[in-house]
Amino acid sequence: MTQLILLNIFNGLVIGAFYALMALGLSLIINLTNVINFAHGGFLAVGAYLAYTLQPYLGFWGALVVSPFLTALLGIVVERVLIRPLYSRDPLYSLLLTFGLAFVIQDSVRMIWGAQGLPVQVPQALQSALSSTLFFLTGYRVFMVVLVAVVVAALFLILKKTRLGMRIRAGTLDLEMVSALGVDVRILRNLNFGLGIFFAGLAGVLAAGMLGLTPTIGDQLIMPSFVAVIVGGLGSLVGTLFGGLLIGVAAGVVTVFFPSASEATIYVMMALVLLFRPYGLFGEEGGTKL
Amino acid sequence: MNTRNLVLGALLWLLLLTVPLWVVAAGGYTDLASRVLVIGLAALATNLLVGHSGVMAFGHAAYFGISAYATGLVMKHLVPSTPVGLLAGIVVGTAGGAVIGYLLARLRGIYFALATIAFGQVFFFIAFRWNAVTGGDNGLTFQRLPIDFGLGQLNLTSSTVYYYFVLAVFALCAALMAVLLRSPFGHTLLAMRENERRARFLGIPVNRHLWIAYTVSCLFVSVAGALYGLLNNFVNPHDLHWTQSGDFVLMAVIGGMRSFWGPLLGAAIFVVAQDSLSSITDNWMFYIGLIFVLVVLFLPRGIAGLLQRRTA
Amino acid sequence: MSLLEVRGVTQRFGELAAVKDVSLSVEPGELHAIIGPNGAGKTTFFNMISGFHQPTAGHIVFDGVDVTAVAANQRVAMGMARTFQITEVFPELTVRQNLGIAVEVAEGQRLKFFATRAQRAATQARVDELLELGALGAHAERHVGELAHGDQRTTEIMMALATRPRLLLLDEPAAGMGTKETFDTAVLIRRLHRKHKLTIVLVEHDMRVIFNLADRITVLSEGEVLDRGTPDEIAASEKVKVAYLGEKREGS
Repeated sequence: MTQLILLNIFNGLVIGAFYALMALGLSLIINLTNVINFAHGGFLAVGAYLAYTLQPYLGFWGALVVSPFLTALLGIVVERVLIRPLYSRDPLYSLLLTFGLAFVIQDSVRMIWGAQGLPVQVPQALQSALSSTLFFLTGYRVFMVVLVAVVVAALFLILKKTRLGMRIRAGTLDLEMVSALGVDVRILRNLNFGLGIFFAGLAGVLAAGMLGLTPTIGDQLIMPSFVAVIVGGLGSLVGTLFGGLLIGVAAGVVTVFFPSASEATIYVMMALVLLFRPYGLFGEEGGTKL
Repeated sequence: MNTRNLVLGALLWLLLLTVPLWVVAAGGYTDLASRVLVIGLAALATNLLVGHSGVMAFGHAAYFGISAYATGLVMKHLVPSTPVGLLAGIVVGTAGGAVIGYLLARLRGIYFALATIAFGQVFFFIAFRWNAVTGGDNGLTFQRLPIDFGLGQLNLTSSTVYYYFVLAVFALCAALMAVLLRSPFGHTLLAMRENERRARFLGIPVNRHLWIAYTVSCLFVSVAGALYGLLNNFVNPHDLHWTQSGDFVLMAVIGGMRSFWGPLLGAAIFVVAQDSLSSITDNWMFYIGLIFVLVVLFLPRGIAGLLQRRTA
Repeated sequence: MSLLEVRGVTQRFGELAAVKDVSLSVEPGELHAIIGPNGAGKTTFFNMISGFHQPTAGHIVFDGVDVTAVAANQRVAMGMARTFQITEVFPELTVRQNLGIAVEVAEGQRLKFFATRAQRAATQARVDELLELGALGAHAERHVGELAHGDQRTTEIMMALATRPRLLLLDEPAAGMGTKETFDTAVLIRRLHRKHKLTIVLVEHDMRVIFNLADRITVLSEGEVLDRGTPDEIAASEKVKVAYLGEKREGS
């Protein structure tokens, strides 16, 4: 029984790491621009499929590195062309836009790469288990958790130490102020969006290795990432990180006892948070303009 | 109401009343027209909140779906009667809306939007997993039955007769919604959309009115759901999924959120496109999505808004 | 009995106390002005009276009833109406629609799902009254968002009046206005006060408006009451002069 619980907690942690990765990207975008990116799952799919296409040329590792950047580039173009015109309007419109965009991206992916699932090659080195007792610690899963940890740490470093990072943090608090100080807010929003999409793309590459590659891969992960943002608290990146891990582990634990309810767990958690502590575990009242 | 609107209205109703005569020649079929009306009703109901109250309701398919399930289950296992089934569906859907609406009424903005999705998904999972009752992914099959009036019978199993039944219910609901929107209560919703703070400081208990609007909106969406179940003689979990909710919002936006009939127009475009395009291309949703994106960017008032501007 | 009594009200935001132990009383029919340098806590204080914020400590008593914990929309029902520093109206609706909604809610119709012709006529009659009072007749069918700033503010004041308030709270009614608009607004306020016998509490920076309209003035500085009295007393007050030193004073 302990093995089973441990197995599920670890799996939960792995899934939670995904949710956190996606959710951090979402969070970055929401915090700075109030845009709720329903298309985040679509970008995840793009990241996964680009990696698949690049793999024959660049190998697994090359694709892993390059694909998120390309996806981020796509994000930058999308932000510039489709989202920028909507900042001055009611937030409903950007929400609707990203919603419609989600369909467009998903179907584009299907048109380009086909509706069937595609095989994903994971390097030999990562496939085997690391220990015979803790057999579920396959190399790939451990690798994913480690990679996510590294990337998240890098994100927090970027935000703390670089000029871009500091501007993003300042902009999250008061965008007008930042603009008044001479920063080009349009470029800031644009790069911030790209950064958020980078995370989606990376999540996509990693997810494909674990869940398989189909056009609906984004659908499975998008809602939990929203839940992670809500549970953690809008406006708090640490909260989002924590939220993602928490719901992943919670869903994992629930699976042990009520296997069919694990998906519902996530929504129940979101509902509970929204009813009793709408600002999330780490959020503050009035923390966001939303 | 000016002459132009009266003429357009008369034309619209003339078209609707004669559908079985021209629909096949136009390349469609009667059930398709019924579907347009039913989905259109759902879109109109959703728009009560989205367009008229300024509230981001992204989970309405849940009430649409549970109403359909209730109708089917009652008719299949309890009382083989269409009116009873319909009533059951409406009651269940509305009750669900009232309960959830009460819980949601304090929330705003993204919190509200995501909460509507979250609760909607809970219903979806119940429908998906509760195999014994709902049939799970296989869905629930049942049969719409003729209504016996003693002296005569309304043979609803016929597509044509069912179409007119749907049209009658649709007309009634549309009329009620129109009256509601023009009433003092409807004006308070408008106020809440335009400036919630000012609405509050005029004395409007905003949360309570939001709850009432939510419940009323769910009532009409439940009617649509019950009719939809009866139309297909089938319900499946997908009818409750958040993407279906999103479709209702999509139709309202494409047709025009701020116009009364906009959502019906959007529903017509969507349903017809879905029906005709999906046989030609697997990617019909891409085109709908594209139109939607273009409308959001360039036509915030939707197609109805475009038509209004042209003739203004 | 005072119409409005504020007793020892304090508002803390974390460590910061924006308003410290402020008391005030307003008699029926009085026009009471609240002034003070920027950052004195006027708006926060004002927000507490109208129910926008709850005070951290203290009580607000309206016509003998303790309303400290009463919700904003309920205070409106009790007879308190307010306008905002940044005009809060329904910009995409016409003046007539704006006033119509205000009247309908004030007349207790907000839950009516259906209005008879007679009711509609009565509503419109009252709307016409308000249009005339505010001299907005010419603009009745225009979207409020398109009107000149002064007319928007007047619309807002008329909407507040639709609720037939016993106490009217005006937050910087002359804010952002030029000389003529300020004059017109002041004339309107004076008319409401003198002719219609309304009790008014007003926050303002414009000294001409204050000294011409107010019966009594309370001066706030750094969240506390600095001085209070009639306009003459305040004009002569050394304490007030010191507080405003360095600030541009218009007339006195």
